[in-house]
Amino acid sequence: MQPTTVYTRDRCVTGIHGLDEILRGGIPYGSTVLAAGTCGSGKTTLGMEFLVRGALAGEACAHFTATEPSVKLLENIRQYAFFDMNMVDSGLINVFDMDVLYSWLGLDKASFELDDVHALIKAIVDIVNTIGVTRLVIDSVTTLCYKIKSEQLIRDFLFTLGKKLATLGCTTILISEITSATENAHWSSFGVEEAIADGIIVMGDSERMGHLLRFLQVVKMRGTSHSRAKHAIELTPLGVMLTPMLKWGASADKTSRWGQ
Amino acid sequence: MAKKMTFDSEDEEFFGNVGSFGVPKFDNEMRGGVPRGFTMIAFTETGSGSELFAKQFTSPAEESDNTLYVATDEGQQEIVRIFKKYGWPLDINVRTIGEEYNANVLERELLASRYRLEGFQLDDIQRLAQTRFVEDNNQDYLTEVTNEIMGLGPYFRAVVDNLDFFLQRDDPARVLSMVRMLQAHAQLVRGLLLISVSTDGLDPTIKQELSSIADMVLSFRVRTIGTDFENSMVVSKFRNAPENLKILVFRVTPEEGITPETVERIA
Repeated sequence: MQPTTVYTRDRCVTGIHGLDEILRGGIPYGSTVLAAGTCGSGKTTLGMEFLVRGALAGEACAHFTATEPSVKLLENIRQYAFFDMNMVDSGLINVFDMDVLYSWLGLDKASFELDDVHALIKAIVDIVNTIGVTRLVIDSVTTLCYKIKSEQLIRDFLFTLGKKLATLGCTTILISEITSATENAHWSSFGVEEAIADGIIVMGDSERMGHLLRFLQVVKMRGTSHSRAKHAIELTPLGVMLTPMLKWGASADKTSRWGQ
Repeated sequence: MAKKMTFDSEDEEFFGNVGSFGVPKFDNEMRGGVPRGFTMIAFTETGSGSELFAKQFTSPAEESDNTLYVATDEGQQEIVRIFKKYGWPLDINVRTIGEEYNANVLERELLASRYRLEGFQLDDIQRLAQTRFVEDNNQDYLTEVTNEIMGLGPYFRAVVDNLDFFLQRDDPARVLSMVRMLQAHAQLVRGLLLISVSTDGLDPTIKQELSSIADMVLSFRVRTIGTDFENSMVVSKFRNAPENLKILVFRVTPEEGITPETVERIA
């Protein structure tokens, strides 16, 4: 019997230490990945490093910040050695302040209607298309969706945006804020983001011997096999480092703890 | 305790107890003019000549730097043209809120519509990526105008033409409290304040409220008589001098602007 040719999708190599191994080579191109995490779990750093690695490889990158002002984001991220402000100044990484974008589009209001949502999608897609963005981070989709009052509109927004970005070959990370990253938790604030995303990466904290360890777990990734194990994250000056978490490490897993 | 003002005796002599309407024949009809400290509310009809009257009211400009004309509908150029035409002083303070609003808000809205309709161009995107702060366009014109008038000193002369701009964009209760503050200020410093508001679509309760705040209520009307228009100014409230209530018919002449009719019509 002849061996069959296995088709594999082209990957967007994240460049993040350990993540590409988990994803067996990277995120399939054009995917929309939900990076859901609790506060302080490293979502923004992960998103920014994803862009920096892309920019270093010559890709056009864009970051939309809705959670914090772009000035503050850049000030915070500058402390990492992997980040170089010249990438922003030279236009390799384009950082867009959502408040500025809202203002330019006349969307500086409390809630968005259907027309507003379409205007926002058109603007983001326009930007991606015009400058040929291949890596995009929206930080966070939770803050952005707070302005969209209906669940149906949120679903339409994310679905249409994801579809259009995929058509343009743009790999997107949608950062989502969640309050808990336990097994029973939702991976998104509105419950619709996780259904629409091609991939879900969960980030949270796990208590271990009195310390809070950051962890990352790839729950879902369409188009590739991947590890579903929890990995410890270390936010080092050189970037995000992922190492496998040993099963006995979690405090919840008391029965298998070392020595018991 | 009520605030007390002291006035320079020379000023008292110079300014007197009344100020001119800017229309000498109106002054004659109204026993010398408008008592100092009065706030006049002018309810206006379209085409009644109230805009011209508002400008003419500033023309005596006893102190030009203490005279303010706030226009919400007209631009600087048009105002200057009218002042030049009638030879009224050009050195008074003029604020054109309508123009400012157009520049700050409407142009921005137009640009937003363009972005929404046509999308971003490359240079737009580059500018967007370099813009870190949202421009503060939420200008509070009501507070600004109030502060500007409150900042005028004794014997000021000010006109707000007209209040519709604020009533359409702000909470009417806020606008009314602004008018109350301005009335109190005019009374305190013996200023003369004229505020016009059009009657088209004006809420009767707001009209009632404005009438009760004002020291003098004027109504500018226009009607047709045969093939002619007849403009009139009705003085329907004159605080503490009801004997001054009058109907003054006027016409507009190229030389004098608002000019009362001297011949009474029978029909």
